[in-house]
Amino acid sequence: MSDESILFTYIAPFVGVLVVAVGIGAAVPGGYAIIQEDITTCDSPTVAVEGPEETTERFNESRPRTLPTLYYENLSEAEQTAFDEALADPIGEARVTGDFPNGDTIRNGSIIVYEGEEHYATVVAENPCFVAPELQFPLGVFAIIFGVIGILSPPIYRKLVELEERANVE
Amino acid sequence: MMNRAVIEGSALAVLALSILTIWFRARYKARPASDGGYLTREELQFELGRLQDEALRWLTTTNHREIGILYIAFGTIAALWGGMDAMMLRTELLTPPADIWTPETYNALFTTHGLTMLIFFVLPVFFGIGNYFLPLLIGADDMAFPRVNAIGFWLLPPALLMARFGLIVQIGGQVLSIFLPDDQIMFFLSLREVSVGWTLYAPLSVVQPNPQIDLLLLGLHLSGIATTVGAINFIATVIYERADGVTWGNLDIFSWNMLVTSSIALFAFPLLGSALVMLLLDRNLGTTFFATEGGGPVLWQHLFWFWGHPEVYILFLPATGLMSLILPKFVGRKLFGYQFIVYSTLGLAVMSFGVWAHHMFTSGVDPRLKASFMAISIAIAVPSAIKVFNWLTTMWDGDIKLSAPFILCAGGIGTFIIGGVTGVFLAVIPIDILYHGTYYVVGHFHLIVVGIIPMLMIASSYYWYPILTGRWYDRRLAKFQSGLLIVGAFVTFMILLVIGGMGLPRRQAIYPPEYQLAQQMATVGSYVIGLSAVMWLYNMLVSYWRGDVVQSTDPWNLKATNQFTREWQWFEERMVEKYDMEPAQPETTRRSYAPELEPMGLLGGVGSVAQNVYRNASMAAVAGFIGTFLMTGGIGTAIVIGVLDPASFAEISELVGLGTSAIIGAALFLAGGTIIWPLLFLSFQEFLPGRRMFETGLVFATLVATGFSVAFYTDQQGLAFVGYLTFVFVAHWAYGLGLAVTFQFLRSRRTDMGA
Ligand code: HEM
Ligand SMILES: [Cu+2]
Repeated sequence: MSDESILFTYIAPFVGVLVVAVGIGAAVPGGYAIIQEDITTCDSPTVAVEGPEETTERFNESRPRTLPTLYYENLSEAEQTAFDEALADPIGEARVTGDFPNGDTIRNGSIIVYEGEEHYATVVAENPCFVAPELQFPLGVFAIIFGVIGILSPPIYRKLVELEERANVE
Repeated sequence: MMNRAVIEGSALAVLALSILTIWFRARYKARPASDGGYLTREELQFELGRLQDEALRWLTTTNHREIGILYIAFGTIAALWGGMDAMMLRTELLTPPADIWTPETYNALFTTHGLTMLIFFVLPVFFGIGNYFLPLLIGADDMAFPRVNAIGFWLLPPALLMARFGLIVQIGGQVLSIFLPDDQIMFFLSLREVSVGWTLYAPLSVVQPNPQIDLLLLGLHLSGIATTVGAINFIATVIYERADGVTWGNLDIFSWNMLVTSSIALFAFPLLGSALVMLLLDRNLGTTFFATEGGGPVLWQHLFWFWGHPEVYILFLPATGLMSLILPKFVGRKLFGYQFIVYSTLGLAVMSFGVWAHHMFTSGVDPRLKASFMAISIAIAVPSAIKVFNWLTTMWDGDIKLSAPFILCAGGIGTFIIGGVTGVFLAVIPIDILYHGTYYVVGHFHLIVVGIIPMLMIASSYYWYPILTGRWYDRRLAKFQSGLLIVGAFVTFMILLVIGGMGLPRRQAIYPPEYQLAQQMATVGSYVIGLSAVMWLYNMLVSYWRGDVVQSTDPWNLKATNQFTREWQWFEERMVEKYDMEPAQPETTRRSYAPELEPMGLLGGVGSVAQNVYRNASMAAVAGFIGTFLMTGGIGTAIVIGVLDPASFAEISELVGLGTSAIIGAALFLAGGTIIWPLLFLSFQEFLPGRRMFETGLVFATLVATGFSVAFYTDQQGLAFVGYLTFVFVAHWAYGLGLAVTFQFLRSRRTDMGA
């Protein structure tokens, strides 16, 4: 034990692991923030739409008077698409990508009348875009690399000791 | 919002590929080098044929040791999959809003994470360890029913695939949707991972249309059958296959625990099976067992937790068995209070069926009933406390060997105490009502499931590695990995306990911003756990080919303390048979280097320091140049990403009176790094702390970097400041190391030539 450097056998790799862990935490979301525009549709909220039976069941007799009613025909194109998709979806949810003029109304829950039937609709997730400082990604990547070197320091240390040993042989 | 299925699929694929690469590389390197190193066609064919034979052997084996390894491999894969879910959960929690995954994805993640870990990771691994070692421990030739054993295992892979089919189908759908229109692949677009929570509470689990729920229920049912079959086999083996001389009074504790665990499973799992079938019927055939107007959702909760609580004991009893088996070996003392431990285990088994309603304190169960459940739930802590007491007493005054298995045992006891005590609090009704929906619960039970359970699994993998492979694992890495796991688990889940205590609700992708720092720390802790798991895996795989060969039939020196138990006796017999080894205990000598302790003069102490500096000036200049070159990489990167202002170099040139030119400044900088600093270093290095030159080099670089960071500071703030500091220090360390190492390298060449 005493012939080994505690610093380079245990402490340095430990710090290395911590640095890598922090680096992953910074680099993964940081990198995501950079590419999310290209690979995702963030800032487009998810709406959940219930079928007519569920809607009746939900409000049997106790329908709040303030619940606003919208008509399918008056929705924006994006809203209509999302509504159709949600009806076809097994979980009853879809994303509104585009104009969302009735957003504030639907956010608090509202009835949408479609082909004479009532559907309860509400926003269930806002799906905001992820924001991260620009430096987060490069610093995170750097931390990962640096940490890995730390983790590898025990074998590196042994190599270096070997080298010095050889240098001191006369 | 990222596409979760594709991301998780690719991450898992990368993981699998790296594992395979590591395995084959280690294997390839371990082989004696052949002629030219080229793979001829015959060789390739031979290799393929061999692979085929191997595959057939593993698919049809009924040998308990091979099935044990299959179980362990399967459980490890499930752990990696469920662990990937966990990492993704924790990544989402880095920020308060749901901006990395959608809330629905988050729900799916914690559902599948919980189920994969609980059902497909823990018990399969313990069944694997049991399969391999229980027959050896009780002196049996094999399990009682070897073929049933194989069937029991082979039910598991399809069960896991069914339970996680949603992910596979989602990825399939993504790929297909590139080529085909949506309406032709409707099936692939309609399945997705279940998101109703691992407890599958009705009525949500009944009304949600996602067809993957049905597949999940079938998969769970299948795994339940596998568990029952395995349990029957263990019970029959322990009762009927013991060798002469193994009695109930000296049966080892691990086998006792496998017996008790199997009995609990035998009573609990069939019940889960029926409940699952009822849920399937409700979903598909219009029965109303759990419908609000029929039997009611609370019925589901009763049935579920009547299995669910015993399941908790099924999961951790084998871990306590391993603890009782392994711990004494590393403290050189016999287990204290064998009888108490056996009785407390039996007591736990019976009581575990009488406490299920403590998971339902917040539902409409009669208060009088609840009070009695509370009483038993508090009482059930007593047997566990007895175990802890016995372990501590075993350790007391022992001759402790600080090896990886012991470190893990100690960590396991620690997490078990905290996880257990926080659980007793939850058994108290008013406390549970406050905390059952918070992270307190998550922290509490993860201290068990990421504490004593995996810690003892890993401890046993190290402890028995010589038997499994005939080689040693990398012991330094193992110790390091063990410490890392303990630190990671404590940091992550203690934080969850605290923020839960402050009232943060669990199962939510979105949380109030004031918890962000705590959540981030917990996430970093969880990455540490993940890294330590990867290190364990690496150690297991690579040491299989390249670990030191075990030279003794008693690698842990157990004969000295009279603890040379049956599995080692079996090992000894085999080593004697196969390799003609001496059964005695050859002196084990550990190879290690012995560096010189006295500080060294530069050229072996000849001449004064100044003379040496003079003689070595040219080497120093080369070394300095290389160091500076390395450093420029760091400084350059810092400039590119914008945390260091290149204009500050102009100040150097201004300082020496050559005007404010950044170019001249940089040239001066280079010259300094090549000539002045190395000379300073060589003159002072004997006075700097550190035994070796590269250590002093690092110290020297740290000193210089401190000065540099002050001199070149241009008012960076926040992250930019952090980046500035790290780059400055790292660049200087690169300089210091490059300088010292190059210098020594040159010297070693010179001495080589001189010698
Ligand atoms: C690296 C290790 C692990 C980490 C970082 C981790 C993390 C998490 C997280 C973040 C959650 C979701 C919490 C919430 O939002 O409420 C969770 C839930 C859960 N975990 Fe783990 N986990 C780990 C290992 C395990 C293991 C080994 C098991 C079981 C053997 C397990 C069983 C569960 C269960 C059952 C849940 C669901 C809890 C609920 O329904 O509220 N976890 N885990
Ligand atoms: Cu319980």
